[in-house]
Amino acid sequence: MPVTFDGIPGDLVEVELDRGAMSLQVDETLYPLEAVYAAAYVFIDRCYVFLDKPSEGRIRVTLSGKKAKLEGDLARETVGEFANELLSCAWRAQIARDSRATIESVTARALSGARGAPSLDELEAFDFSEEAFDDPLGIAMSWEEKYAKKKKEGAAPAEEPAKADGGAAK
Amino acid sequence: MNLLQIRKPSTSFALPFKHRTVGKRVLITNTEGNFLLLQPDEFRAFAEGSIGRESELYKRLAERNFVRGAENQERMVERIQARKSFLSYGPNLHIIVVTLRCNETCVYCHASRANMDAVHTDLTKELAEKTVDKILATTNPNVTIEFQGGEPLVNFGVVKHIIEYALEANKKVGKQLEFTMVSNLSLMDDEKLEYLVKNKVQICTSIDGPEHIHDKQRKLPQASAHQKATYWIKRINQEYERIGLDPTLYHVEALLTTTREALPQWKAIVDTYVSLGCKALFLRPVDPFGFADKTGHRIEYPRKEYMHFYTSAVEYMLELNKQGVQILERFAAIFLTKILGGEDPNFLDIRNPCGAGIGQIAYNYDGKVFTCDEGRMLHEMGDSTFLIGDVETTSYRDLMGHETVRALAIASNLEAQPDCVNCTYQPYCGVCPVHNHKSQGTIFGRMRESTLCAVHKGIQDFLFEKLGEGDPATLETFKKWTTVRDRTHFLQSCAV
Ligand code: SF4
Repeated sequence: MPVTFDGIPGDLVEVELDRGAMSLQVDETLYPLEAVYAAAYVFIDRCYVFLDKPSEGRIRVTLSGKKAKLEGDLARETVGEFANELLSCAWRAQIARDSRATIESVTARALSGARGAPSLDELEAFDFSEEAFDDPLGIAMSWEEKYAKKKKEGAAPAEEPAKADGGAAK
Repeated sequence: MNLLQIRKPSTSFALPFKHRTVGKRVLITNTEGNFLLLQPDEFRAFAEGSIGRESELYKRLAERNFVRGAENQERMVERIQARKSFLSYGPNLHIIVVTLRCNETCVYCHASRANMDAVHTDLTKELAEKTVDKILATTNPNVTIEFQGGEPLVNFGVVKHIIEYALEANKKVGKQLEFTMVSNLSLMDDEKLEYLVKNKVQICTSIDGPEHIHDKQRKLPQASAHQKATYWIKRINQEYERIGLDPTLYHVEALLTTTREALPQWKAIVDTYVSLGCKALFLRPVDPFGFADKTGHRIEYPRKEYMHFYTSAVEYMLELNKQGVQILERFAAIFLTKILGGEDPNFLDIRNPCGAGIGQIAYNYDGKVFTCDEGRMLHEMGDSTFLIGDVETTSYRDLMGHETVRALAIASNLEAQPDCVNCTYQPYCGVCPVHNHKSQGTIFGRMRESTLCAVHKGIQDFLFEKLGEGDPATLETFKKWTTVRDRTHFLQSCAV
């Protein structure tokens, strides 16, 4: 029998007391899927978590208590915490995009500072063989190499980069 | 004061800033960590961009890089670099758990202790040597080896072996080496003390306040843990004086863990520290690691009550300083060094990004390596999320390149945190992903619900209020608290 909680919109949260589980519907236009995954993941130590899509534009998250049944205050607390975590994850995803350059440069600097340069022993143990650089798209190849290789194989020549990106006309 | 009260905000006058009402003033800060405490009408003029170039307010703002077009980019870069200088080096704090055995039982035990018969939790000499080899591989020229437990004096033979092996091995790499030991001191004796003083090992202990609180929280069979600790604090300090060290600079450091019982006792706690000759007091709240989790309902408290305890104690310490007593509060000193000094004192728990892995490493008695001591404690409680390797099989570079280390560097970057990203205190603050993981189930955490954020925000609110009040004696004391204490005696350099 579905019930509702004080202060929590009944059309978004559905609680089945007899099953000890509850479902929360998330509007896909408000929350990115990555935020739903991230928030759901935070609950896997306490709950079994199920995701499905009951209708277009809606994701349903079902939480079922692992040890204790979700009911009463525990159920209200869990759903409230999930909603807060979801908002936090959605905003964090946005911030991570906005501050990407700063986050990346600080992290790269911190990790390279901490790791330091590889020792001669480590360099010696490093696998420099062809396989380690498997490059099916030819990204690591020079333009001349790639072009010459394709020509030899009889494939159509690669497009000239200057034309492809709308660069300087000759 | 709120932005809605601004009639016509200017989008072209100010450089990016964050603001917060503190007491009767409005605090503004910028990325490089400059701050100004403005009167509400000054803030309104600043936000509306209606300040004449000749005015004193314009000069104050421009000097601190708050005005568009008047910025000094070179200084901006220098300031940001100074605040982030720690990024260029790897871990400098290396915590070695030489045993889990402990002869005391504490209500909040941080160390996940084992009983005295659990000899299998003693670090062996062989693993100790491998641990030291790993430590000396750090890219940091300064290395602090901290002996922890359990109670490190229980496995003193291995402590000695580490010191001697590290001093010898360091001849090849030439690090600036320091040793510290965190001990309850109850197993100290003259012989051990002589060795520790001779080998320049800094000694740190726990004092939870007056005897009745200390002994209730830290149980030592058939004796008073407080009496043992205070006896040895005095003896060690005398020893330092005997060898000619300045007692204001060289003395035993003590740490407090604030439990619910301690909250009304702020005055007695400060008095106890002063009477023991301590010059610093670290008013640390309980954390969710170790036994504290299980006994939480008995010793935990709302952070509002903690803040009342904190501000009462610090107000009292400021009064004592006015009377010539030297005593500082460690949280305040850390934040003030960043606020007033423009530098990061590299306190690893309040750093952006935090020191997990890239600033500190914890080595367990069984050779397992963790991003930090908190992560190691969680492992003892059955959660090995922060395990990054083993001294026997993982290379130093692989420890630093571990995905958990990377994840923590990102998760503790305040630019990546909701709330922190817009917080006025961002230039001075830091978060602890391990605390978030334990208390909220995610290394990112939700700062609005975080007890750690409540403490950081509360302390910074208090400090800025005091700065805003402008009492000369308080400002003088604050300035003193930012002075880094000389510890040259404890540094052991070694030319390669
Ligand atoms: S932890 Fe809290 S006080 Fe510190 S920057 Fe983040 S939101 Fe601000």
